[in-house]
Amino acid sequence: MYAKEMVKQSLPLIIFCGLGAIVAGTTLGLMIDLLEEIPGLIVVIPAIIAMRGNISTAFGSRLGSAYHLGIIDADNLWNEELKQNIIGSLLLSFFVAFIIGILAYITSILPPINVYPDPVKLISIVIIAGILSGAILTFMTIAIIYMVFKRGYDPDNITGPALATFGDIITMLCIFGSGILIEVVM
Amino acid sequence: MYFWKWNINRGGHVIYSWKKIVKTGLPLLTLTILIEIFGGQILQGRQESLILFPIFLISIPVINSISGNIGSVLGARLASGLHVGYITLSYKDKEMHDNLLISLLMGFITYFILAIVIYFVAAFGNLITEDIALIKFIAIFILTGILLISTVAIVSIITAFLSFKRGLDPDDMVAPVVTTVGDVMGILFLFIILGIFGVVI
Repeated sequence: MYAKEMVKQSLPLIIFCGLGAIVAGTTLGLMIDLLEEIPGLIVVIPAIIAMRGNISTAFGSRLGSAYHLGIIDADNLWNEELKQNIIGSLLLSFFVAFIIGILAYITSILPPINVYPDPVKLISIVIIAGILSGAILTFMTIAIIYMVFKRGYDPDNITGPALATFGDIITMLCIFGSGILIEVVM
Repeated sequence: MYFWKWNINRGGHVIYSWKKIVKTGLPLLTLTILIEIFGGQILQGRQESLILFPIFLISIPVINSISGNIGSVLGARLASGLHVGYITLSYKDKEMHDNLLISLLMGFITYFILAIVIYFVAAFGNLITEDIALIKFIAIFILTGILLISTVAIVSIITAFLSFKRGLDPDDMVAPVVTTVGDVMGILFLFIILGIFGVVI
């Protein structure tokens, strides 16, 4: 019977990830003043989190595959393959963040929504939050992978859940931070 | 040892290139965020209510995290079963039904436990501005969860089966589809249940 092992192995991890999501959710709950001050900000939140999840998980699993292919290991981590992966992930974050900002703005001003956000403010917040969270999570992934290599574990089993738990929290904090920054600067 | 220093790859040629990463990632991501923006607009339409009840603002990432994880685990298990052959491509497959049932059960347990945690986090952090009883909150959270998990599980099975049938790897397809659909449906279901309970108009 596979059912018992499924519950035993997945349930604690799913609950743990849920607890991480509560931290992310509480951050969102603490942002209510900012959400009121910046129209359109709430629109971009699910999109940024989804983008971050997709790009980081793909980055983590590519590094896992690279390890299995023998392209990177603990002594040869900081090489051209890793560099290309980092540049690719960060550029992708930049492009997608820009698209998120534009889409959020356009869909807001159209009926039936009819909310008029400041497009420069909104796009700046998304790009700063996207790049900042991307950079933090990229280097967090590399640090995790480095430690996993040193211990000889399989990175595929570790990076996914770790990114799922910390990714949302870090992304939400980055949105909060860049929102405050833009609110102060502009 | 050489952690701080860029090394040239041993073979001389590089497998990954940033151009390829951007080019393969961009189309699917654009589609994903287009759907997510739709979820974001539902939130914007209900922003007034969410500001009155920040407890539901806390709940949204949690609702989505649970359904995304359970849907992905179910999808990954179906993918392995289909690859190895102990799950057949039939909607009457018993092994698949068992997996579905266990997923729903795990979802129920997780939503129940986390509803209680959220309520006390919100109460402790003074984030309950309008009164809402614990029982009522748990009921709303679990009903949303059951509705969402059922939807996500069915989407997960259909995505796994269809992609396997067409010769695509279900492992690549299920997680992005399930998390995106789950995010938007989670927001939608939450507001439907809140409407039924008369919490928001």
